[in-house]
Amino acid sequence: MSLAIKIQDLEWRYEHRKSFALRGVNLEIEENTFLGIVGANENGKTTLVSAISGLIPHSFNGIYRGSVQIFDQTVWDMDALELASKVGFVFADPESQFTAMTVEEEIVFGLENMGLSNQEIGERIKVAAELTMIEDLLDKSPYDVSGGQKQRVVIAAVLAMNPPIIIMDEPTSMIDPLGKRGIFSILRKLKAAGNHTLIVIEHNIEQLAPLADQMLLMHEGNIEKLTSPEEFFADPKFLEEHGVLTPESTEFVQWLKSEKYVPEETPLPLDLGTAIDISRHVIESRSDAS
Amino acid sequence: MTSLISVQNLSFTYPDGTPALFDINLEIQEKEFIALIGQNGSGKTTFSKCLNGLFKPTTGDIIVEGINTREKGIIKQLVTKVGYVFQNPDHQLFNQNVWSEIAYGPRNIGIPEDEVKERVEEAARVAGVEEDIFETHPYFLNKGLRQRVAIASILALRPHTIIVDEPTTGQDMRQSKEVMNFLRKLNEEENHTIIIITHEMRIVADYAERTIVLGQGRLLMDDDTRTIFSRPEILQKTYVEPPQITQLAQSLSDQGFPNNILTIEELTTEFKNKLG
Repeated sequence: MSLAIKIQDLEWRYEHRKSFALRGVNLEIEENTFLGIVGANENGKTTLVSAISGLIPHSFNGIYRGSVQIFDQTVWDMDALELASKVGFVFADPESQFTAMTVEEEIVFGLENMGLSNQEIGERIKVAAELTMIEDLLDKSPYDVSGGQKQRVVIAAVLAMNPPIIIMDEPTSMIDPLGKRGIFSILRKLKAAGNHTLIVIEHNIEQLAPLADQMLLMHEGNIEKLTSPEEFFADPKFLEEHGVLTPESTEFVQWLKSEKYVPEETPLPLDLGTAIDISRHVIESRSDAS
Repeated sequence: MTSLISVQNLSFTYPDGTPALFDINLEIQEKEFIALIGQNGSGKTTFSKCLNGLFKPTTGDIIVEGINTREKGIIKQLVTKVGYVFQNPDHQLFNQNVWSEIAYGPRNIGIPEDEVKERVEEAARVAGVEEDIFETHPYFLNKGLRQRVAIASILALRPHTIIVDEPTTGQDMRQSKEVMNFLRKLNEEENHTIIIITHEMRIVADYAERTIVLGQGRLLMDDDTRTIFSRPEILQKTYVEPPQITQLAQSLSDQGFPNNILTIEELTTEFKNKLG
């Protein structure tokens, strides 16, 4: 496996700010990993992913030390087009990313900038629209669809560019429950396809946990914890002190383990279904015994 | 308990002909803590705007503390009875500094200036807005503080009922707890009826005693929160799921577990009782 991202001793201070937003971050992420990023607000989550995408330093002023590499190229030395072909970025507010009059033009925009043929553009639109379930919206104005659909349009536009790394910064925070389901179902498909390194900042921990290969906790401008989700959620108290919730069903099974209802070596479940199976097994084996 | 708001056969259709609410009946009492939930487009915001008199019922009536919201020229009275805090405080804050922001409401309804001062100070104290930011432009405050200023500006009108639209959206866990505990304090210590509009079911389970569920403009359920979450099949109609821990307990109902668990602590207690 090759490294998608390599960050060495990264420090960053925004212009006019007194303190550093990133304070000596070191991070290596292998290709095609799904990385979940959590942490209290104002602790550097968005700054970190901005440094990976190249928004920092290219679109912000400040003090930059250390280095960020994506696929062995230094972000500092890459131009906008190179970066756009390597890293896609989805923000919390989809409207902030719209530039065109129709959904289709919205997707075409980035592809034309890449100088692709019409046939290639048509094929990419088809694939991206199908995956994000927006085939019926292509002729509509992007402002004229629901919040969840808007975010799917943004994701389609990013996917059509086919960048190996896709970053989403709280993609569901501004949309309703049905809209959220749509976004997470896209994330599941992308993970299953296994062709992208996915980096997702998300407060919706119960949806994020089952998808992540690695979980990263940001705290005061540094990486406080980076590990498998099973290990990450094994200490709900620690996470709570850092402003992060644990999925309720995971926390419940952690309690079952601490009370010796289930053996210590049982892997911590990250989804409701597995937690139900474990709980049911405990109850049934007890009633068999009695 | 005293009824503050009586909603009688309320239907509402927008002027362009889009129907939004259908035949809603309910009563809101003094000192309640209510969650209003449902998919976007279910009518939550329209319903709230009917409660504070911004929208008049197309048919039916809303009686707020004895006043029918259909009456003409009563909006200045209504704002002192039902306050509405926007989801995005920036949609609400428009004055040049925090003090005039909080003073705007009472001044606008003709409160004498010495009483305005008194009200601003009281509202700021209750909302936790410190005096040293009175001269600051709201734009320069963080979101949590801007939200507090928005709530203080509503409190200065001294409404019995306060509706807060998505108080925790975009906030992290600590910020969410802070704003929710503050709303709980307004409810318990200052006797306000609080209505939150939210998509966060863990927040609903932790804070709201009563939950009103809207779906496609209709009242799907209106009951204590525990009962509401014990009916996932109705919640599903508006794409709402009970908290994960509630769902876990519900899937064990054939083993005798209750279907209305709200917290992890409740389930662990139940588990210990059953299994020893």
